[in-house]
Amino acid sequence: MAKTILIVDDSASVRQVVSIALKGAGYEVITANDGKDALSKLNGQRVHLIISDVNMPNMDGITFVAEAKKLPACKFTPIIMLTTESQEDKKKQAQAAGAKAWVTKPFQPEQMLSAVAKLVQP
Amino acid sequence: MAEILIGAIALAAGFGAGYLVRDRRAAARPGAAPAPPDAYAEKVTEFAGTVAPVWSAQIDSSRTQMETAISQLTETFAGIVEHLDSVIASSSGALDQSQHGAFDRSRERLGDVVGTLDQALTASRESLNELHSLLGLNEELRSMSGEVTRIAAQTNLLALNAAIEAQRAGAVGASFGVVAMEVRQLADRSQNTSARMVENVDRVAEAINSVLAAAETSAEREGTAVAHANGEVQGVLDDLRSAMTQMQESSQELEQAAIGIRGEISDSLVSLQFQDRVNQMLEHLRDNISRLPEVAASLDSRVLLDDLSSKYTMAEEHQAHSSQKAAKVSESEITFF
Repeated sequence: MAKTILIVDDSASVRQVVSIALKGAGYEVITANDGKDALSKLNGQRVHLIISDVNMPNMDGITFVAEAKKLPACKFTPIIMLTTESQEDKKKQAQAAGAKAWVTKPFQPEQMLSAVAKLVQP
Repeated sequence: MAEILIGAIALAAGFGAGYLVRDRRAAARPGAAPAPPDAYAEKVTEFAGTVAPVWSAQIDSSRTQMETAISQLTETFAGIVEHLDSVIASSSGALDQSQHGAFDRSRERLGDVVGTLDQALTASRESLNELHSLLGLNEELRSMSGEVTRIAAQTNLLALNAAIEAQRAGAVGASFGVVAMEVRQLADRSQNTSARMVENVDRVAEAINSVLAAAETSAEREGTAVAHANGEVQGVLDDLRSAMTQMQESSQELEQAAIGIRGEISDSLVSLQFQDRVNQMLEHLRDNISRLPEVAASLDSRVLLDDLSSKYTMAEEHQAHSSQKAAKVSESEITFF
């Protein structure tokens, strides 16, 4: 059975690009527009990996990661931050919140798939 | 659109700067009354308060239009990719399976037809063999009839000698002479019967030979027909296989083309990530411009620039800020914690 990945990004184009790359590699994909939307999607939905933006309206990515890690179902779910953010302190905050990897935009699908494959197989 | 917008902002900024310079020059002209500081600050604030919302609105409008257009474009592209994925998934191997199934069924059914013809030909050849063996039996009958004729001739000779001896014996041999006469008559009848048998054997042989000749001709024609049918069936199967191979090749070409188009669209979608970056840059600029009225009176650019700089998320924003030149987009980096 294919593994499910949650994509959290306020940019529709980024959500689509990541979705296409992941679906092409055999993953199931669900999407959310921001951290708040993502938390509601995680309610009752088991996912194997999360890819989240950092700068988003309503709830930013780092707050979302911290909140998601409080959910029993997400305690051990790996999270990749996908962001335009280049500041080191933000990267450290994400790591402290529980993220497993940090990928900067614009990304190449092969890079993203290789990062995803290190954390979860299709 | 971004270039036009940046040009408009630069033009407006130039106008604003010119306005301030003209105002100061007017204030510095000999004889002209200097504008009171509060009035000057008010004018500048009013100017900033007038232009800043317009600039912000224009930036926001451009940003929103671009976001909407790119979102629609990516959605359309994503739909095409999904459609292509489903086409590739359903066509891949489907033709292979269906064509092999059809080909195998056709071969099996045509094989049954040829098999039936072969069985008929075999049965016909068995009948011919039976006729040949019947001819052999008939020849045996002819030989037996010849033997009967020879025995009848010898019996006749023996009966003749017996009749002569009975005549020599006189009255004593008279009854014996009658027996010898009867034996001679029996031998004659045997000879006649044997001759009729030979005639019948000849007729039967003639009939068998006639049937055999017709059957052999028919068997030869059937053999040729079966061989021809076999060749035709093989030809049909070859044509069918060739047509299916062509269909398979065309299908594979179409599949490869679909995979190629999918790849090209996916690559194009990757390029559309620029929208997310440009959107964020414009948001930072819009937020900064909206602060212009509150700091304009101070004429302290550092307040705005420091605020702008604090909002940057991308390395190229920092580079463009410090160099005042367009910066190249940084390559993606992956860090595992």
